[in-house]
Amino acid sequence: MICSLLVINSLTAVAQPVLRWGGDPSGGAPYVFADPANPQSYTGFDYEFAEALARQMGMQAKFVPTDWESIVASLQRKEFEVIIDGFEPTEDRAREVLFSKPYYLFRLQLTVRRSDSRIKSLEDCKKLGIPVGTLVNCAASRLLESEGYKSVGYQDPVGAYQDLELGRVDAVLMDVAGEMFYARQNPKLKPVGEPFHTGAYVVGIRKADKQLLARVNVAIDSLANNGTTEKIFKRWQLWNDEQLTLRTSKPAEIKVTGTTLNWSEGLIKLTKAALVTILIAFGAMAIAVVLGIPLALGQSNGGKIISALCTVYIEFFRGTPVLVQLLFLYFGLPVIGITLPGWLTAVIGLGLNYAAYESQIYRTAFQSVPARQWHVAYSLGMRPVQAFRRIIFPQAFRVALPPMTNDFVALFKDTSTAFAIAVWELATAYRELANATQSYLGIGLVVCCYYLAMSLPLAHYAHRLERRLQRKSTGIISSGADK
Amino acid sequence: MISIKGLTKTIEHTTLLDNVNLDLAPGRILGVIGPSGNGKTTLLMCLCGLLPFEKGSITVGDRTLRAEESETRSETLWMFRRKSGIVFQHLHLFPHLTVLGNITEAPVQVNGTPKAEAEREARALLEKLGIDQHRNKFPEELSGGEQQRVAILRAIAMNPEVLLLDEPTSALDPMRSDDVRNLLKEFAAAGHTVVIVSHSVRFLSGFADQLAYMGRSEIIEMNDTKELLENPRDERTREFLRRSGLN
Repeated sequence: MICSLLVINSLTAVAQPVLRWGGDPSGGAPYVFADPANPQSYTGFDYEFAEALARQMGMQAKFVPTDWESIVASLQRKEFEVIIDGFEPTEDRAREVLFSKPYYLFRLQLTVRRSDSRIKSLEDCKKLGIPVGTLVNCAASRLLESEGYKSVGYQDPVGAYQDLELGRVDAVLMDVAGEMFYARQNPKLKPVGEPFHTGAYVVGIRKADKQLLARVNVAIDSLANNGTTEKIFKRWQLWNDEQLTLRTSKPAEIKVTGTTLNWSEGLIKLTKAALVTILIAFGAMAIAVVLGIPLALGQSNGGKIISALCTVYIEFFRGTPVLVQLLFLYFGLPVIGITLPGWLTAVIGLGLNYAAYESQIYRTAFQSVPARQWHVAYSLGMRPVQAFRRIIFPQAFRVALPPMTNDFVALFKDTSTAFAIAVWELATAYRELANATQSYLGIGLVVCCYYLAMSLPLAHYAHRLERRLQRKSTGIISSGADK
Repeated sequence: MISIKGLTKTIEHTTLLDNVNLDLAPGRILGVIGPSGNGKTTLLMCLCGLLPFEKGSITVGDRTLRAEESETRSETLWMFRRKSGIVFQHLHLFPHLTVLGNITEAPVQVNGTPKAEAEREARALLEKLGIDQHRNKFPEELSGGEQQRVAILRAIAMNPEVLLLDEPTSALDPMRSDDVRNLLKEFAAAGHTVVIVSHSVRFLSGFADQLAYMGRSEIIEMNDTKELLENPRDERTREFLRRSGLN
């Protein structure tokens, strides 16, 4: 026993009795996911496969939950030694990681709503100009991209199929494994056409770990030949005779889907995403600026019930994360029959959220205007609306402007939370493009430039406006209270 | 013309005004004197419809405000407010408007006077007080005396039946300057009524037609200026004048 461990140690560069493997358990069924029967532990065919693989190598598997989109970057950061998560070999990944032999061959399946009779094949989507939903950073998304389809990227299959059901997208393309688990049983959805485009799941390994790769390949062969792989995939009802081709010792012919970054195309995509970001930011700010007024008035002058309601609203939106609010609006509201597209959800969600903050800015600003200003206006015969519009509001506005500018810049950055609800704004674009090309640094710098190009002119303009108002008089000289 | 009948005002069980009665003919300047804290400012605030009261009524010109209407947002109240203008002790100019804007805002917004006309009238007033050159400045750029002139013109521009001034002499000299005094006298002579609250008996003695001495929450005595100063009837008036060094 001790002898064999020593042998293994001397054979491998990574001399660990533990094999750390990375996968994304969120929406990760049936690959790897929290066991519904026992949420502290994980299950899934990749989970079982990883356990078997480690055992075959004389090691102990240790699962490291990670984020799917940045799974390669996490591998490079040595958070784990291997990727086992329905990982497909692609050209761009080949520049970053080594691929093991395939342990499973998968196909893609297109799904539409049962009531939809327009779409009979993937080609129909192109002909009809229908965007196809899929997971970001997977074989399907790369296929769609390389063949010029319009697509909508999702973080997990649950969101994709739910949006399909709700009509936010009209078609979803995904690995058969995911499709079987999430869509096949749904009476509102139906698969169209046969599964197509054979791809393979492999184990991803860092470039430097060549010896580990050799050991993993030996273990994969053994598991295939001794029937362990078959047992696992049969249990998950994903076995088919095609898998038998993997038992031959020569590596199977695998189609490698690839995308390389075309910079001019990438810039066009980023620019489009920037426009979406601007749309969301301005739309949300417009809602926030307007809705903040009744909230502020209601809270300070609304009588007991209205004031309490406004306070509840304000504390709710300030006290819970905006990301949670967006997810709630996007996935929660459809339950009661309200289905909004992603971009509108982002506009409304961020608008409702920031309205709470604006209302507090207004309240402070109005409190800073002395009550005597109302009195003077009334004594001159002005009605409340006139006094508010001509006398009180302009003074409060000067006080409110700087914090409002801050909020607007903050809102610009908060638009990035919209990635969670599949809106193609700038942050989403960054993650997807950078993941597809592994060019986090280059694209990241470009994205930062875009954000700055949007927020700097805004800050500059606000500063000028402030200065103009400041020049018009800074304070209220005679602000002392009369008896 | 002012007519106050049985005016009573309390705040949290403290009586600020207790059955105040007062009649004043148009064209007159009334000075209200008395120790501070005796309800002089409260009286002014009630007079211009900014402070509700519990009992009595106030008539200014052809408009009467009864106690029960003083608290509502009634049409009567809005119309009543237009009858009088007030210059607060601390002025409260509109800091976001220029001198010209401060004066023309209400005529343009409330009366619908064309802007050019309102500005022409405002400039005539500014010239009278010798501050037309400041018309495009903001209040904070002016001296205290200039600010007070603007505040007076802002009230006068609405041509109110009654002009109320709260402690206009505190630390400012313009009330001692002839052009401001002449303006107010002219204004009164044109048939308006002016009420000035001041602790400075010396200032009022040479300016007001009539004086009212206000004791704790009531008007103790009211008479022509000369008469009240020379022959005060009430002991409390005499005591106050003696302390002011005027008797």
